[in-house]
Amino acid sequence: MDAKIIASLILAMLVLANPVHARNVDLSTVPARQTVQLTIYNSEDLTLVRETRVVTFKRGVNPLQFSWANTLIDPTSVELAFRASSDGLEVLDTTFPHDKPQMLYWNVHSDRDREATIEISYFTSGISWSADYVASADRDEKTLRLEGFVRVDNRSGEAYENAQVRLVVGTINLVEKIAQLAQLPVGRVDELQKGEFRTLRQQAAKSMLSRDAAAPPAALAEAAHPKEIYKEGLSEYFIYSIEGTETVPDGWSKRLRSFAADHVPVRIQYRYRVREYGDRLVRLYLLTNDTGAGLGTTPLPDGTVRVFRDNGRDGLSYLATQPIKYVPIGDKLELNLGTDPEVVFELVKLKTFRDNLWLRLSRGNLYRKVGDNTVQIDIDSQVAGWDEHQLFTQRIRNYSGKPIDVQVRRTYPGDVTFRSQLNPSLYDYQTVEFSTAVQAGEKVDLHHELIQRQEYNKKQERVVLENGHG
Amino acid sequence: MIRQLLIQLAGTALLLGAAPLDALARIKLITLPVRERVEIQLDHPEITLVEEERIVPLVKGVNQVDFSWANTRIESETLVFRVLAPMAGKTLDAKVLAVSYPPNENALIWSVAASDSGAARVRISYVLGGLDKQFHYRAVADHAEQTLALSQYLRIRNDANEAYDETNLWAGFGERFVKPIGLNETKEVLMGKFQGVPIKKTYTANPGEFGYLDRAQDKLNVPMHYVLRNDVASGLGQASLPFGKARIFQDDGKGGTAFIGEDWGKFTPPDDELSLYLGLARDITVKRTIDRNERTRIAGNLYQYDVTIKYMIENFKDTPATLTLVESVGRLRAELGMPGSRDPQWALLTGTTLTGPDPDKSDFDKLSFHVELPAREASGKARMQVHTLHLSISNEW
Repeated sequence: MDAKIIASLILAMLVLANPVHARNVDLSTVPARQTVQLTIYNSEDLTLVRETRVVTFKRGVNPLQFSWANTLIDPTSVELAFRASSDGLEVLDTTFPHDKPQMLYWNVHSDRDREATIEISYFTSGISWSADYVASADRDEKTLRLEGFVRVDNRSGEAYENAQVRLVVGTINLVEKIAQLAQLPVGRVDELQKGEFRTLRQQAAKSMLSRDAAAPPAALAEAAHPKEIYKEGLSEYFIYSIEGTETVPDGWSKRLRSFAADHVPVRIQYRYRVREYGDRLVRLYLLTNDTGAGLGTTPLPDGTVRVFRDNGRDGLSYLATQPIKYVPIGDKLELNLGTDPEVVFELVKLKTFRDNLWLRLSRGNLYRKVGDNTVQIDIDSQVAGWDEHQLFTQRIRNYSGKPIDVQVRRTYPGDVTFRSQLNPSLYDYQTVEFSTAVQAGEKVDLHHELIQRQEYNKKQERVVLENGHG
Repeated sequence: MIRQLLIQLAGTALLLGAAPLDALARIKLITLPVRERVEIQLDHPEITLVEEERIVPLVKGVNQVDFSWANTRIESETLVFRVLAPMAGKTLDAKVLAVSYPPNENALIWSVAASDSGAARVRISYVLGGLDKQFHYRAVADHAEQTLALSQYLRIRNDANEAYDETNLWAGFGERFVKPIGLNETKEVLMGKFQGVPIKKTYTANPGEFGYLDRAQDKLNVPMHYVLRNDVASGLGQASLPFGKARIFQDDGKGGTAFIGEDWGKFTPPDDELSLYLGLARDITVKRTIDRNERTRIAGNLYQYDVTIKYMIENFKDTPATLTLVESVGRLRAELGMPGSRDPQWALLTGTTLTGPDPDKSDFDKLSFHVELPAREASGKARMQVHTLHLSISNEW
C-alpha cells in the first residue's frame, strides 16, 4: 500500500477528554488529501511536505489521529495548522502514544460545528532530486544544444500523488542558516549534537520558505507539452517549481526537462593544467551561463553533464561524462572532453647544464710528502649552490583538421627564471602560463629555458619571467 | 533470450493523464516497434555508444514508451531519446515530457506527447558495456625487406548479451561497415590495406634498453625492428594507428610467406614511427668496452669525468646494414659508479669517431648514432669497425 500516511478523524461520539487509546472499539473516518506540496532540498536528505485535508469538526473537542507507518517521517517535525478563518479552532494537545510508534493524536477544540481545511506539515527523508544535463554539439562544434533535467527519486516509503513539487537549489545556504540559528561559524556546524542539528536544520529549511513561492499553474490532466519548470530566485537560493502536479510512486524516479537552449556558442580550448586535469592535454568546451548564450535563466545546479557531438548522419558521438559544480548565472561552464588523439603534446628536454657553482669552505688539511719538503694545502669544500639550466621544447602537433588554441600551465617550485619568447604570464607566484595557436596540420616547437637556483643560490620561492632565447 | 531490449508502446487505453504509473492496469496492449537501423559508434577510446532507430506509432496526446534492457549492461543514465525530423509529407510533432524509472527494474518509461496520430522516427542512444573493440595488424614484408603490405583489422567482441542484426559500425576513422553482431560473437573486419609501405630494417644496440647478449664478453644484444612511418609519403598518415598486436610475415620468394614474429604496435600518431620487434640479430655483433674513465677535481667535491666507450662492430651478413648505437649518459654514469643523480651535463670530445648524434632521436640524456655496416667480404670475412664515443661529464658531485 502506497498511502501509509493516514489522518483519521475519530468520530465525536467516542470522544472523551483523554480516552482515545483506552477504547478497543473505534470508528474513524479518513479525510483524503486535498493537496500535497513537496519541497525537496538536494543538498540534504530533507523534504518538507505540506498537505491539506478537509475535516468536519463538531463543537467541542475533536480527536485527530495521524499515523505514518513504514515511512521516514521525522515525528518531531509534524505540525498541524488551520487554513483560513481558523478563529475558534485550537489544538489543545498532542499525544504520542507509547504503544503505537509512528502515530500521534491531536485534540482540536472547535467553537462550533464546521468544516475546515487543515494543513499538516512534516519533514521526511528518502526523497531526493538531482540535476543532469545533456550537451549535444553540432557537427563543426561551433554551437551546442544544452538540456537540463531534474530527476526526483522517491525512496520515502510513501506515494505522494498529484503533488506540487518544488526543488530547492543551493547547498551552502542551509548550512549558513543552521550556523546563524546556532550562532556558530559555518565551519563548526558539524560539531552540533545530532538532535540539535536536526532541529536547527528543520528550522532553517522552514525559514527559507517562510513565504510561499509563486505557485505554478496547476494542471489536472497531463499536458501534451513538456512541463515548465518555473525558476524563482529567493534570497540566496533558487526554487524550481514543476508545472502542475506530479505523482512519483514509492521506489520510482521521474526525470523532467528543466530547460533547453539551442545554438549555445561554444569555444574550444586545449589546456594543460596538471592540478586540474592531470598530466595530459585535454580538450574543453567553454560556454557561459548567460542570456547571450541563450542560457542564464537559472544557475546550473550540481549534476552530471553528458556530452555528445552530432556525427553528421543523424547520429551522435559520445564525447564525455563530467560532473559539474553549481554554475551561477553569468559564470562559465567548462566541459572537459579528455585527451584528443588528433593532437600530440610532448615535452622534450633537450639539454641540461649547471653554472654559477658555489662551494662552501670548511676546515683545511695540510699534507707533507715523506722524503722531501713538498707541502700541499687542501681546503675541504663542498658544492653548496648552483644554477641548473634545462632547455625544453613543448612540441605540439595538430592533426585535428582545424586550428586549435592551446594553453599550458606549469608549476615550478623554487627560485626559478623562466626564459622564453613565448610571451608567458604568471598564473601565480610559481606557475607559468602561456598560450599558442596551432594551425591545422602544423607542428610547433615552443622552446623555453628553466633556470633553477639550487640550495645556497636559492634566495626566493618564485618564478621570474625573462624574455630571451630558451 | 535473444532480444533483451524491448521497446513497448502502451495502448492508448492506458494513457491516463496524471495516473500513478504503477497503478496502470495490468492488462496491457502493447506494440513492439522493431529496430529499423542500428549504429554502433566505436570512435571513443573506451566507450561504446549504440544508437537504435525505430519507427514508433504514436497517437495524438500523451503516449507511454517503455524501454527495458534485462541482463544487458546499458548505462541507463546515458539513455537519450530523440525524435527525428518528421518523415516527408508528415507534420507529426513529438516531444518527450518525462521519463519514469520503475524500482528494481532495468527499464524506463518515456511519456511522449504527439501532436497527431502517426509514426515517429526516433533514435535511442545509450552507452553499452561488454561490447568493445581491438585492433590488430598483419604485416607482410617483401622478400628484400624494403616495403610492407600492412593490413589493419578491427575486432569487435560482443559480450553485451544482446544481438544486433545488420549494424552500422564506425571506428572513428576509415570505412564504415554494415555487419550483424550476434550474441557472444567476435567479429573481425578489414579496416584498411596499405600496400608498399616503405620500411627500414633497423639494428640497434642500446645497453640500457636491450642489455647484453654476453655480459662477460661485453657483447650487446642487437634487436631488429621494422620501422615504418605513419605519414602520407608512406601511404599512411590519415589517422593515428591504434595500439594492437602485429603479426609479421615475410615473402619467402617462392610464392609463400613465412611468419617471422609478432609484436605489440604502440599507438602511433601521424608522422611518428612505428617499430615492430623482430627478434635478435645474430649476424651483427657489437662489443662495448669502457676504455677510459678518469676524473678531474675542479674544486672541493666537484668533478669532471672523461669517459671513452669503444665499440667493436662486425657484420657477418651478406648485405649492408645500418646499426643504431644508443647510450644514456645517466645510465653510463651509474654504470661507472659516479655519485651524481642530477640530469647529466655532457659534451662530446674530440676522440669521438661516431657521426652525430641524430638530433631527432637524441635529447638531454640519450645519444643516438648511426653506423653504416658494409656486407661481409666475398671471402666471407667480416670487416671489424671500431668506433669510440668520447664524453665529458661535467659538474658532478
